[in-house]
Amino acid sequence: MKLSKKQLTLIVVLTFFASSLNYQAFSQTSISGIVTEKNGTPIEGVNVYLEGTYDGVTTDPEGKFTFTTYEIGVQTLIASYLSYESFMMAADVTQMSDLKIWLREDVNSLDTVVISAGTLEASDNSKVSVLKPLDVVTTASALGDFVGALQTLPGTTTVAEDGRLFVRGGDAGETQIFIDGIRVFTPYTPTTNNIPTRGRYSPFLFDGITFSTGGYSAEYGQALSSVLLLNTIDEPDQDKTEIALMTVGGGVGNTQKWENSSLSFNTSYINLAPYLALYPDRNDWEKPFETFAGESVFRRKFEKGIFKLYAAFDTSSFELTQEDIILPEGLRFKLKNSNFYSNASYAGELENNWRFHTGASFTHARNDVGIQEDGIDNTENSAHFKLKFRKRFSNRVKLSFGAEQFLTDFTEDFNNDFVSERYGFNNGISAAFSELDLIFSRKFALKLGARGEHSQLFDQFTFSPRASVAYKTGKNSQLSLAYGDFYQQPINDVLKFSSDLQAQKTQHYIMNYQYVANNRILRLEAYRKDYNSLVTFNDEFPGFDSNYSNNGDGYAQGFDLFWRDNNTVKNVDYWVSYSFLDTERLYRNFPVSSTPSFANTHNLNTVAKWWIEDWKSQIGFSHTFSSGRTYTNPNEPGFLQEKTKAFNSVSVNWAYLISPQQILYLSINNVFGWKNINGYQYASTADANGNFNRRALRPAADQFFFVGFFWTISEDGTDNQLDNL
Amino acid sequence: MKRTITLLILIISAAGFAQSKYQQGMTKAFELWKSEKPWEAANLFERIAQVETDNWLPRFYIAQINVFNSYSEKDKEKMVAQMDKARDFLNDAKALTENNAEIYVLEAQLLTAWVVYDGQQYGMKYSQKIAELYQKAFDIDPENPRVVLGKAQWDIGTAKWFKQPTDVYCDDIKRAIELFANEEPAGEFHPRGGGEYAETVLKENCEG
Repeated sequence: MKLSKKQLTLIVVLTFFASSLNYQAFSQTSISGIVTEKNGTPIEGVNVYLEGTYDGVTTDPEGKFTFTTYEIGVQTLIASYLSYESFMMAADVTQMSDLKIWLREDVNSLDTVVISAGTLEASDNSKVSVLKPLDVVTTASALGDFVGALQTLPGTTTVAEDGRLFVRGGDAGETQIFIDGIRVFTPYTPTTNNIPTRGRYSPFLFDGITFSTGGYSAEYGQALSSVLLLNTIDEPDQDKTEIALMTVGGGVGNTQKWENSSLSFNTSYINLAPYLALYPDRNDWEKPFETFAGESVFRRKFEKGIFKLYAAFDTSSFELTQEDIILPEGLRFKLKNSNFYSNASYAGELENNWRFHTGASFTHARNDVGIQEDGIDNTENSAHFKLKFRKRFSNRVKLSFGAEQFLTDFTEDFNNDFVSERYGFNNGISAAFSELDLIFSRKFALKLGARGEHSQLFDQFTFSPRASVAYKTGKNSQLSLAYGDFYQQPINDVLKFSSDLQAQKTQHYIMNYQYVANNRILRLEAYRKDYNSLVTFNDEFPGFDSNYSNNGDGYAQGFDLFWRDNNTVKNVDYWVSYSFLDTERLYRNFPVSSTPSFANTHNLNTVAKWWIEDWKSQIGFSHTFSSGRTYTNPNEPGFLQEKTKAFNSVSVNWAYLISPQQILYLSINNVFGWKNINGYQYASTADANGNFNRRALRPAADQFFFVGFFWTISEDGTDNQLDNL
Repeated sequence: MKRTITLLILIISAAGFAQSKYQQGMTKAFELWKSEKPWEAANLFERIAQVETDNWLPRFYIAQINVFNSYSEKDKEKMVAQMDKARDFLNDAKALTENNAEIYVLEAQLLTAWVVYDGQQYGMKYSQKIAELYQKAFDIDPENPRVVLGKAQWDIGTAKWFKQPTDVYCDDIKRAIELFANEEPAGEFHPRGGGEYAETVLKENCEG
């Protein structure tokens, strides 16, 4: 059979077509080699390929690879594997045989050493995290207050009648709180003697809490002892409505999500009147504590950044008469407080591995206080502006720097039948900071920082160096050290009467050892803190005509121990923290250096949570022990020379999951009704026998009961669960 | 006659060569996956992904391999590394395809891997989100057997946990099995199959 011309043409065309597709017509080049770690250990599973082509292969157990390519000329070879830095080389394919490639460990991996001196984290995926975000709401003694949960961590002191954070021999004013990197000026709801305060902010709006008990980054200033960093959630899970009904009030929250933005708001109303009617406490309430709070977060994602706007408003009031040994008819106290806080921030990416973060906050706080016949009204307007840049030179070298400005305008009016005074201060602090992160390997990291601050009020410049280093001592353990200088201006209560002062100073030295494995954490930390330039004055409380100076000083030293274990007993998660503290200071009106009444030697906290599957319940338990606190007994010579008996309290809670959306929550603080004594108040004059009588300062109530019902309604939740109830 | 055969062979081989590199690569990757070399398959999908920059499928499968192989992972470092990788590729895939039920199912499976890893920590955190993702997938494609199966399986787990009746969801699983039997894949190399797995789920949860 003879082929026609047509057929022949077809064959020729087809052959040409086929061969143009068929690269076998060209010559192949073989690419081969071996991939190892620096020390020669072969790495299996590495993806080795020519960039932009299909040609490549996975390395075998000996780390070897061989593949062929039809590519010619200069190509880029890539070798990549999880938790190693990718390797790249450009060369002519003919040169790519018997290659010896070694991969550098990726220092971004979880395995890398973390600078942990001083830092306690509550987050999901950090290896050094000691708390989980949910712990805040499920810790028996905390009652849903994030500050309450942090008080079960090492480095804190139990000052039950106050409720604020006292860290390592520092008073409550030495801790600063930041939301999304921007300062909160008035974080606590004001109260009066012997009634513990709570944090203003709802724990549900935050997904990362970093609590530093010392040696923190140069980014943060104006805190002598500690910083608490709260980060709001970037993206809420879903649209939902949350309803809370409690024995002390109620709350409603709602979250709406759109494509790139979301809005959450939360409101709550607390009124202690019904509870106090059932369980009267030691105070004589004319108007029981009542508070209304609302907060809202708006978030918007942009292609290269995220914007957040947070605003919170709350108002609270109460009026009571408290027992007082000096005033037989009692001390009358009333308070009205309103507080507005808003915070806007934007974090975004720029070209060439630059990032920036900028934000501002504004606080307006107003207090109307009545003590006996005196009226004290004050207003604080404060603002904070911040701009920070960060450049990533490589995974191993990062530099950040920034500047910030704090402004405070404080005015107070004092009125009674005889006096009417107005006073206050205007304060501006400008600061600049810079920090360099160097990660030498997964085993060794260093952070160096410096911060400079200028106070407008004192016309004083301060410079604080900071340094920390971490070294991995084993697969699961690491050691870190930190040093830093910290400055803080005197508190408003002093500044409003005197501005002829300077910043107070501490120096921190911290050594930390951490062991983390199989859901168990052991953390040991030893520290020394030196205080200088503490404010002293000559009256019991700062006043108009007191004499102020910066002559005070002091020290605090001790060690903290933390153990958490979520592995040994099934469904049981527990932690124990113990702090030993030795501190003395000369400040306020102390005649001699003494241990202040907010500091005690031993603090032991045990928290346990037991999940009972069959009951769909979590039972929680927490025990706080703290050794006695100092007080001055005027019947004996000396100052702060005696100690109260130790403080003991056991709290239990029970959370029952009725359905995926409904939780019933019950808790009792101080189940055994132990009679704790926070201190003593002595009469101002001696009786006929020359004795000063005293009155024990006891908590307003020994026990506290709480019942709450929490209901989350989400769109899908309603249609796939509730119809089955 | 001889010539005609030659011609035929030529035509056939030309057709064979006409299978693109993409098709060859994808076919090879699925073979590797089937022969229990999931990481080699993932590597190949990754090589395909870096060439096919606007195709969501290879990215989807990289994420899927990382998710499926995390269900039994106990080591936190590996878990985090794999989940991060899965999340990255899933986000990439999501950006390349719109309103795709398969993406939501995989996202739900990714979060489920965390719940399996540590139920106490992640159960409460993610369970509503997972339910929401299945619901989203279901709204987009109620006839997709993987959507129906995934949603039913999650609902059954929740109902069992709360000691609620599971019959409704068993019917859903049976429906998924039927849908699997009549499934027409949406396109070449698109996700398909899972009928056998559905049978196992039915056996474990609804029989005996």
